[in-house]
Parts: sequence; structure tokens; C-alpha cells
Amino acid sequence: MGFEVLLKGNNMIRLLTGLAVSLKISFVSVAISIVLGVALGILMTLKNPVITVVSRIYLEIVRIMPQMVLLFIVYFGTTKALGINLEAETAAVIVFSFWGTAEMADLVRGALLSIPAIQYESSISLGLNKLQTYIYVIIPQIIRRMIPLSINLITRMIKTTSLVMMIGIVEVLKVGQQIIEANRKASPTAAFGVFLVIFLLYFAACWPISMLSRYLEKKWET
Amino acid sequence: MKKNSLKRILATTLTLALGAVALTGCGSASAKEGAAEQTSEASAAQEQSDSKVYRTLDEIKESGEINIGVFSDKNPFGYVDENGEYQGYDVYFANKLGEDLGVKINFVSTEAASRVEYLETGKVDIVLANFTVTEERAEKVDFALPYMNVALGVVSPEGKVIKDLSEVKADEQVIVISGTTAETYLEKNYPDIKLQKFDTYATAKTSFENGTGVAWANDNTEVIAYAIENKGYVVGIPSLGSQDTIAPAVSKGNSTLLEWINSEIESLGKENFFHADYEATLIETYGKDYEETLVVEGGKVSDGAAAEASSEDSEEASTAATSEAAEAATEASSAK
Amino acid sequence: MNLEVIISYIPLYIEAFLLTVKIGWLGIFLALTIGIIVAFVMHFKIPFLSGVAVVYVELFRNTPLLVQLFFIYFGLPKVGLTISAETCGFVGLGLLGGSYMAEVFRSGLESIPSSQTESALALGLSRKQLFLSVILPQALSQSVPGILANVIFLLKETSVFSAISLMDLMFTAKDLIGLYYDTKEALFLLVIFYIVMLLPVSAIGSYIEKKARFRTLGV
Repeated sequence: MGFEVLLKGNNMIRLLTGLAVSLKISFVSVAISIVLGVALGILMTLKNPVITVVSRIYLEIVRIMPQMVLLFIVYFGTTKALGINLEAETAAVIVFSFWGTAEMADLVRGALLSIPAIQYESSISLGLNKLQTYIYVIIPQIIRRMIPLSINLITRMIKTTSLVMMIGIVEVLKVGQQIIEANRKASPTAAFGVFLVIFLLYFAACWPISMLSRYLEKKWET
Repeated sequence: MKKNSLKRILATTLTLALGAVALTGCGSASAKEGAAEQTSEASAAQEQSDSKVYRTLDEIKESGEINIGVFSDKNPFGYVDENGEYQGYDVYFANKLGEDLGVKINFVSTEAASRVEYLETGKVDIVLANFTVTEERAEKVDFALPYMNVALGVVSPEGKVIKDLSEVKADEQVIVISGTTAETYLEKNYPDIKLQKFDTYATAKTSFENGTGVAWANDNTEVIAYAIENKGYVVGIPSLGSQDTIAPAVSKGNSTLLEWINSEIESLGKENFFHADYEATLIETYGKDYEETLVVEGGKVSDGAAAEASSEDSEEASTAATSEAAEAATEASSAK
Repeated sequence: MNLEVIISYIPLYIEAFLLTVKIGWLGIFLALTIGIIVAFVMHFKIPFLSGVAVVYVELFRNTPLLVQLFFIYFGLPKVGLTISAETCGFVGLGLLGGSYMAEVFRSGLESIPSSQTESALALGLSRKQLFLSVILPQALSQSVPGILANVIFLLKETSVFSAISLMDLMFTAKDLIGLYYDTKEALFLLVIFYIVMLLPVSAIGSYIEKKARFRTLGV
């Protein structure tokens, strides 16, 4: 069935290292997305017309452009247009953060707007100043709403990292192809075993994170 | 234009975004590193003239590292073994180049279709990925002296050997790899044949094994190796199109690196380096029989294989080596 | 940018666009079908089948389409199951989409208060009538924004098809870059065609979402 090739040499370790590359790109991108997304989300609630228009266009681009297209534009396009040479991994982090920031910003904006004005008013009437209102009343609520959704974003990013193979990053899928290729003669059915194992590896990486996100969402509901 | 404004928005947002990370300092350590790297890279790139994307020989030596684009899924020319080490005919040569330059090699895995792109954008210093010298490519990159002969070939299953491409029926598909000379050749000369295109060797071969195409067209070196290694396949068309050569390529205009590679290939010819390379990497697949037909020693295409090739072709291949000649070729072809 | 090159590429992109749209919508249709069935099975806790449904939804929601396609297209033939690239593309998209659609429909079904079931039964409606004329219409209309979001997601995911040799928009762009090296022109057209394909769907989505929000707010 082609599982035996994975026991040869370092093949299984190589696959796992490939998966680690994917995970690293997702985590770095999520970290950047959270910071930038929160900032942009707050800016978007300010109702400044310029910010509104620019952010609308930005969100729309992210909404309709496949990540793969963005990867190609950033990796191959920018080099020519702007004269910057990007490493493939940097390009991937930029695209994923570009996408993640938009999603986070939209979530933050939604969360901020969903907090009724009465909470601000009552906090102030209780004698809290503006900063205190934010720190003790508003932000904790927003974080509760954000955490499950950001965890959810991590799993979606991990899944999308499978595309970075297309811009030459040697991640788990590319390692899988290399293994199949190097052992074509000895294990002609390697494609079945290797791709099935990669499928399960992705599942093993994403499923626990999805469950955590769902658990937190339920726990913090209402 | 619309795209320009889109791009500008994209660029501004990115700059803003990265700037914000650097300023707030809230991002993770690696994010900060990334941002810092980019700004420095960006300013460095702006200082230089826009056209120079490559690194000169001295710059490479100074950095102590060279980026070489090779295949990672094209056994026996460029592949990765079970210990994660790059191996193959191209890689053997790459290792020699690194050794003689005295720098560490950073292998970059490339796909056929992105080889030109990698050089044009300076992502690698040299491409050593079974890169066939063609006129179109010579307009975009500079080829050094050749180190292997190649033509196209077509392999098909034993039960239904394709001996001539006219045998391919209208509802049948021929497998090619995107960005290879086989693709260009078939697109140009057999526009009616339906092509099934893959972007990697691994996917193309797996798909061919799975029987989705009636034949697979590629470099003849590759299809011969495939038929030898896999039972039940026959190379029905061993040679198609013109006799070409395979050579290292560098970014257009990177003359210092190009000259160094050329002199290296010439001096390696004196020690019969490429024969040793063949014996180390290819003999297991091809046996002794193909050694003289495949290997080009010292950058000189010998009579053996090139005899069939029209003198024009081989001349073109070897003269394309110098950037001057390549420019002449550009002019010539644009004049056409 | 070279206008002549752009014009000469347009027919190729139109062909790719049609293929992308065809397989995309076939896949979405399959996804909707699978989604409704699976959501129904899960909501009414049909024994055994609901277990299968849970495993299916979790497996396909937590793995990338590219890996699913690789397994179906390159892996399965090794154990004797060969399918064409087009079928593989639409089945893969349908399976992935089905797992997402199922979640949307399920929450649509769950959003209908049990009091409705009780009152419908008290009014003398049969189980079948209850489901077809009370629950399903409401569940579907509740799910519309979610469905549209998934439609956009699935149409975007078609860009992955290029890996299994389907000549979709993404593949055409990559192939042209590899053949003629006109990177800027090829990428420009790629962006334009995705805008043409997705902007209308996205606009409809935003419109319906706004309407739905107003309705729930009672405006």
C-alpha cells in the first residue's frame, strides 16, 4: 500500500519537519494578524470616511481573491513591480497576514459594535474613566468573542499552508512528493500511503485546535 | 490602470502593516525579524538600480552562500533521498561548483515552469535544473556552456506504443510538464493534441502510471530513464524535435558569475568531470550505453550526439553561452 | 504591460474561466446536496448514519482541499480506483463543501425553536408536513448568508485544481508564465477574471446579509 517508504531513512521525520514548516508559517501569520487586525478593527469603528473606503476595498480584495493568487502576486509579482526580493516563506507570511488581518479586523469591528452603548454609559456613571472602561469592561468581552474565532483562523491558515508548495516552499506535501519520486521503483504504490498519511497528519494538526475553538465558543456563549 | 491602483493599495497596506508591527513591537520575534529584513531589503533594492536583481560573483563569495535552483523530484538528475540530501547529476555538478567557489550551497527546489522566474527575480543565483537551452529562454536568462545533450522523447505503455504523434487520437491525452521544452514543442507543432499538464515531475509521473494519459512527452533522457526503471513502458519515439543541450543558467547580465562558470566547465573538462558525474549518478539508470551520447565535456558538444543536430542548432547552443551572443539571438528573433 | 500580449491571452482565460465556473458550480451543487442530507442525518440523530456523518464532517473540515485532491487523484488509483481530473475536481470540491454546508444547515435547523414543532403538531400537521412546510423553509432562509459565504469560499478553492492538471484560471496563468514568461500580463488577467467570477457573488452576499440583519432587527 506504500506505507513502507515512510519507514525508510528519515522519511517520516522529514514529513513531520515539513508539517512544522506549515505550522510555523500559520502561527507567525496569526500572531501578526491579531495585532494588526485589532488595530485596524478599532480604526474601522471610528467612522472616518477615508478609513471606511480603504478598509472596504481591502476586505473585498481578501474576500474574493484566492490565497493562491495572492501568493503568486506577492511572490512573483512584487519582485518585478517593486524591485524587492522576497523569500518564499516571507511571501507566504505576508499573504497569510494580509488575509488574516482582514478577517480579524472584521471580527473586532463586529465585536466592538455589538457591545451596547449602555455598557459605556453605566461604566462611566459608576465612576470609571474611559481607559478603565476599556480595560475592565469592554476588552475582556471582546477577547472572549475573539479567542475562539482566532483559534478557528489558525486551523484555516494551517490548511491553507498546503498551497505554499506552489511557490517552492518545501513543506509536508512537497516532501511527500519527493519521497514518492525517490522511491518510485522500490515502492510503486507509495502515492497512496504517503498522501493518506499526509491527509491524516493535517487532520491531527487541525482537529484538536478546532475542538478547542468550539469548546471555548460554547463555554463563553452569552 | 485598475491594477496599478490595486497594487498601490496592496503595497501601501503592506507597508503600513509591516511598519505597524515594527513600531508597536507587539508582534512575535520572528515577525519583527521579517519586517526588519524587508525594510532593509527594500531600501537596499531601491538604492540599486531597478534592473539588477542578481548577485555578482564577489557578492556571492562574500556572503559565503550560493543559492542554486535544482529539481527535487526528478530522479536521477535532481531529487532528494531518504535522508533529506539532494542527489543526482545536476546536484553532483552543483556540489562541485560550491566546493570550488568555497561557499555553502543552499539548494532551492524549483519547478520546471518557475525556473526563468527564479532567475529573473534573483531568488536563485544559478539554475541547474536540467535546463534546456532555447532561444526564447536565452532572451530572459544567460546560459553558460552546456554539460549534457538532450532531445525530446515520448514514452507510452507496452500494450499501446505510440511510435508517431499522429497516432494520438482526438479523445486521448498526452502528459507534459508545464514549462518544459516538450510542452512548447507540442503546443507549436501539434496544436490538436490534447495535453494534460502537470507542474511537477512527481505528479506527472504518478498520473502517467495511473493511466490518465496515453503517452508522456518530455526530455528523452527522462523518458528513457522512466522506461528502463518501470516495467511495461516503451519509448516509442526516442528523439523528437531538435537536438538541444542542457546548461547552467544565471540571471540576465550576471557576467561575472557566467564567466566563472564557463571557465569552471572548461577546466572540469580536463579532468573528465562530467564522465565521473555520469558514472556516479546516471550509470545505475542508463548503463554504459548512453554515456557518450549524454555527456558534454568541457562545454564542447562532441560529434557523437550532435551529429544529427543541424550545425546551426549546436552552434546556437554553444554561442548562446556568452551574453553577447544571446543578445544577438534576441535581436535576431525579434527581427523575425 | 503589453496590451497585445493581454489581448492574445484573453481567449485562453475565457476557456479556463468557463471550466472553472462549470466545475465550481457542479461542486457547489454537490456540496449543497451532501450538506442537506448530512445536516438532516445529524439533526435527527439517525443511528449509525449520524456517527458516519460526524466523522465525515470532521475529516473534511480539518484537512486542506489540495491534500484531499492529491489523495483522491494520485493515491486512490494505486488501489484500483481511477477517476478523471474533472470528476476528481468536482467530487473533491463537493466533499469539502458538503462538510461546510452541513454545518450551516445544521445550525439553521437548530435555530428553529421547538415550540414551533409542538404547535405544528398540535395543529394536526403530519411529521412530513411539519418538516417540509415549516422547518425546511425557515432553516434554508436562515442559512442563506452562510451558504453564500461558503459559495465564495468554494469558488476561491477552485484555484487548487491546477495541481491535478485541470486547466483552470490559476493553471492557465502559471502555464503561460512558464511558456512565455509574461508574468505581469498573466497575473493581471488572473486577477481580472477572478474579480469577474467572484465580485457579483460577493455583492449578492453582502446585500442578502444586510437584508437578513434588518429582518432580525425588525427594521
